[in-house]
Amino acid sequence: MQTKEITFKHVGQGIPRRDGDEKVRGLARYVDDLNIPDCWYGVAVRSPVAHGRLKTLRYDPAFDFDQVCVVTPEDIPGKNIVDMMGQDMPFLAHDLIRYRGEPLALVAAPTRQLAEQAAAHIQPDIDPLEPLYTLEEVIALHKTDRSKLDELSAQTIIKGSVDEGLAAADKVIEGEYWAGHQEQLYIEPQGMVAIPEKDGGVFLQGSLQCPYYIAPELIVTLGLPLEKIRVKQAAVGGAFGGKEEFPTLVAGYCALLAMKSGKPVKMVYDRCQDIRYSTKRHPAWMKYRVGLKNDGTITAIHVDFVLDGGAYTTLSPVVLYRGILHTTLGYNCEHVFVDGRVYRTHTFPDGAFRGFGAPQAIWGLESHMQECADALGMDAEVFRLKNYLRAGDKTGTGQVISAEMDPPAVMLETLKRSDFVNRRTLNTYGVPRDGKFFGVGVAFFGHGSGFTGDGEMRLQSKAALDLDWLPNGKPGVNIRISSTEMGQGTLTIMPQIAADGLKIPMACVDCPLPDTKYVPDSGPTVASRTAMVVGSTVYGAAEKMKALLEQYASDAFFGGHPCHLEDGVLTCSAVSQSQTFEDVARRLLEEKGMQRVVHQFKLPDTVVWDQKTFKGDSYPSYSWSANIVEVEIDALTLEIKLKKATSVWDIGRLMNPVLAKGQIEGGLTQALGYALMEKMGIRDGLFDADRMQTYVVPTSLDTPEFDIHFMEYPYPHAAPGAKGVGEIPMDGLAPAIANAIKAATGIRMNRIPITPESLWEAMPSTRKEIAS
Amino acid sequence: MSVSLRCVEASDLLLPGSLPEALAMMAEPEPPTPLAGGTDLMVQCEAGARKPPARLLSLKQLPELKGIDEADDTIRIGAGATHWQIRNHADVKVGLPGLVEAVSMVGGRQIQTMGTIGGSLANGSPAGDIAPYLLIADAVVEVASIEGTRQIPIRNFLIDYRKIDLKPNELIVAVTCKVLPEGAKEGWRKLGPRAAQAISKIMGNYRGKIVDGVIESFAVSLGSVAPTAIRLPEVEAFLVGKPLSEETIAEAERLASASVKPISDIRSTAEYRKWVAGRLVRGFLTSFTKGNEGSEGSEGCES
Ligand SMILES: Cc1cc2nc3c(=O)[nH]c(=O)nc-3n(C[C@H](O)[C@H](O)[C@H](O)COP(=O)(O)OP(=O)(O)OC[C@H]3O[C@@H](n4cnc5c(N)ncnc54)[C@H](O)[C@@H]3O)c2cc1C
Repeated sequence: MQTKEITFKHVGQGIPRRDGDEKVRGLARYVDDLNIPDCWYGVAVRSPVAHGRLKTLRYDPAFDFDQVCVVTPEDIPGKNIVDMMGQDMPFLAHDLIRYRGEPLALVAAPTRQLAEQAAAHIQPDIDPLEPLYTLEEVIALHKTDRSKLDELSAQTIIKGSVDEGLAAADKVIEGEYWAGHQEQLYIEPQGMVAIPEKDGGVFLQGSLQCPYYIAPELIVTLGLPLEKIRVKQAAVGGAFGGKEEFPTLVAGYCALLAMKSGKPVKMVYDRCQDIRYSTKRHPAWMKYRVGLKNDGTITAIHVDFVLDGGAYTTLSPVVLYRGILHTTLGYNCEHVFVDGRVYRTHTFPDGAFRGFGAPQAIWGLESHMQECADALGMDAEVFRLKNYLRAGDKTGTGQVISAEMDPPAVMLETLKRSDFVNRRTLNTYGVPRDGKFFGVGVAFFGHGSGFTGDGEMRLQSKAALDLDWLPNGKPGVNIRISSTEMGQGTLTIMPQIAADGLKIPMACVDCPLPDTKYVPDSGPTVASRTAMVVGSTVYGAAEKMKALLEQYASDAFFGGHPCHLEDGVLTCSAVSQSQTFEDVARRLLEEKGMQRVVHQFKLPDTVVWDQKTFKGDSYPSYSWSANIVEVEIDALTLEIKLKKATSVWDIGRLMNPVLAKGQIEGGLTQALGYALMEKMGIRDGLFDADRMQTYVVPTSLDTPEFDIHFMEYPYPHAAPGAKGVGEIPMDGLAPAIANAIKAATGIRMNRIPITPESLWEAMPSTRKEIAS
Repeated sequence: MSVSLRCVEASDLLLPGSLPEALAMMAEPEPPTPLAGGTDLMVQCEAGARKPPARLLSLKQLPELKGIDEADDTIRIGAGATHWQIRNHADVKVGLPGLVEAVSMVGGRQIQTMGTIGGSLANGSPAGDIAPYLLIADAVVEVASIEGTRQIPIRNFLIDYRKIDLKPNELIVAVTCKVLPEGAKEGWRKLGPRAAQAISKIMGNYRGKIVDGVIESFAVSLGSVAPTAIRLPEVEAFLVGKPLSEETIAEAERLASASVKPISDIRSTAEYRKWVAGRLVRGFLTSFTKGNEGSEGSEGCES
């Protein structure tokens, strides 16, 4: 499919969010707003220890358990397993307990108060075992005695011979980088309701990203066939990956309680429960060893990449894959060795979070590339541009950068727009000017769009379009996809794309919230894939629907002469007549009823991927960006202020520039929190910053002046030609800020978040002042 | 009437029409819990740090708690005055500029509109942003019960961590501050983990006067470095009569740092707080040499 010949009318326009109005007015119905008659409330009985063996559950004889419904492992109709990777997580712990707060039993009651009371009257007897909590402890063992660690996943990437490359180097530069837990902090916490159905099935509605994760994953546990597990998305006010795999757990808890009690059962976490008992971004540690020639050539890149996976495997292997694939992404190097591992700890399982391993990897990569440039005495941009991938070059897995990409273009444009070369003359390198340190920093990076490797081939994503009566009583087209709206604009861009494929007005296209009863599986709403993969699938379906309408109109109205649909009008030049889309669709619906077309996504046949050796085309395409930031540090207090962030983005063809910019601004703000604020410790096995007061995310007053600019290099194999925008804004800001802090203070900060406290620790001169 | 501070438990809400009526209700053997803006109370109940009280006594409608009145060299602020009212009050802006700065950085607009000065004081948090200012303004807290009224200097009112001189049947009625004297200057600085909606890592206020390059008077207070907001008497004693030189400033910084014993908590570390305590004092003193534009870093939100 060649995108260049297509002209777009709606795609590329800054159409306002279709769901904006109802969300601003408070009309959107989140799960807790659903009014379900006779709904019971569910809670979990949670383990008070992080690691141990459960002996028994003791039920307080003074409490009347007849008024509530209790589910223990014996009540699970299928297997007591959460059907995710590794299959190592039980729904309810029955023997080994691996994190504090792990559910041991479930309770439902007519009120939340009663459910909480009942849960408090069930006491576990546990033999405690020694817990392992932190990545620091993990890395100490990783360096000394790996037999003491429980490895959840491992993968290497090998290109050439890293030893040969290191041997050929004039200099080898080493560095270690650390990143902590990060909480998604979506607007509304996790919530789900399960309603038992008459046929023995269960209907689940809730705050979720991936309806077709929940339904098939619950088959094993509930012992129900797929058709009897129906999942519908309620309005979602934000997810960031936190509602990717995790909602399966809440869905399972609610479904088990609903099936046993025969009542609808709702669980809505409060913020504190949500932070304590839901997934976080994986903490990461990286060690880079990079071989360099004195002229700036990179001869070898060796990376150790370790993730703290938390208590169970869940999605960690996939996070690891994306992580290691981004540890060298962008740099042209013959000799690469990446050793990736995920180890188990006794904290809540880590999981999906915007970027999915890539922000950790790029934090290390772009910090270290600056160290390399500094070690050679080369300018940041000169070193990067010398080594950056260009069309025809090969990545670490041997993927050829195709001709329609020009990664360095975004860098060159960012350098220009930020006036980097002049601004860096103001860097203070450790000597404050007028009471402030000042520095400019760069990061240059890419992000793989869509599922890793051949994932998009295996997913076989489908989109359906239904020609049907719309809620306004007029004929129109319903988009039936499992992709979810979670603030990023799915419900707006999909009608833009469908309207362009069909050549009808956007008002004739609707995109209802997904319900597995009506939508085919378009894959999960993750991996920056929705606009590129599902958008293109919707476009393909729209072209099919257009052909169907043209065929029908030709038969029904134009005596069999071919006609052409354009701007909502079907015109037959042979008979010089035309009919509106509405009239044709009405006649068709009255005559034949609802019409459905389905389209399936395909990658070009040329894509090759070997999942074992990690060789080949690791992603269908890549988005590219450069971030250049200016940072000011108050010499009096070491408070760090991001003043300005200039960034240029190649995310393929823009579906909606206003929404794309919103994704970038929001993502950069989230990345700012990751870099400078969001600190999550562990106290007695629980995350310590478990409230919005203590888990500090940026407010709009913390945001810098943003200069955001797009350069469009459309993806040629999937019209309309989007690449990924969802995750890439999370990737590069942290290293850009750390590089600016180095330019300001002369100090390399290798652990995020970077706070005034950590900067103070790292600046011996400031410490001396206090000692005096 | 009943209200719910946490979704599972309801409290009875009492709505007295006047202060005497309220004090009579407070005189009952099991007095109700006063409710002003609710911005501390609701959060504490929701977080499980406090059991939702069975009975709440609303203060918002009491006329006696509302006024802000100037008299000679003092301003009396009713306990029910909100941060937003204080921030926008013409007399307070002139007479207590440092208080305007401090309340401008409490939470954000929503919290400033609901939260009251009385609530802030009664809450007794060492991280509260108001008490340090009251210390340098020699404030007097007026509390009342059915038995009568007590006037308590702020430094006696703040007893210990979350402990204040307020009996269970008393209400805070007002706070009276000394206005900034002629020729004196005051300022404020708050360090929080972000630009707004932030509980302080440390904050402080000063009020002082310099005549011909010599420090005539200097009061300085800090919050979040001790169980209560504190004045720094050693620093103050050292500074009075000294010329405002770099030598003086460096010694004051050292003394300030040495005189506090902060703790590490989720917001900051003891070491950083100790260091930065001295830095704030340095900043206050250098602001004297920088004309009269007030303190630094006080970008109040939503001004
Ligand atoms: C999001 C958020 C941000 C915040 N940011 C800040 C900040 O930046 N700086 C800061 O200092 N604080 C902050 N706070 C805390 C709080 O808003 C303030 O301390 C506020 O002034 C409390 O006042 P209130 O009227 O809401 O008190 P309430 O919650 O109504 O009461 C607090 C306590 O005082 C008692 N009480 C109230 N009034 C009286 C009275 N007149 N007599 C006797 N007892 C009384 C109540 O019984 C209760 O125990 C923040 C709170 C929130 C929720």
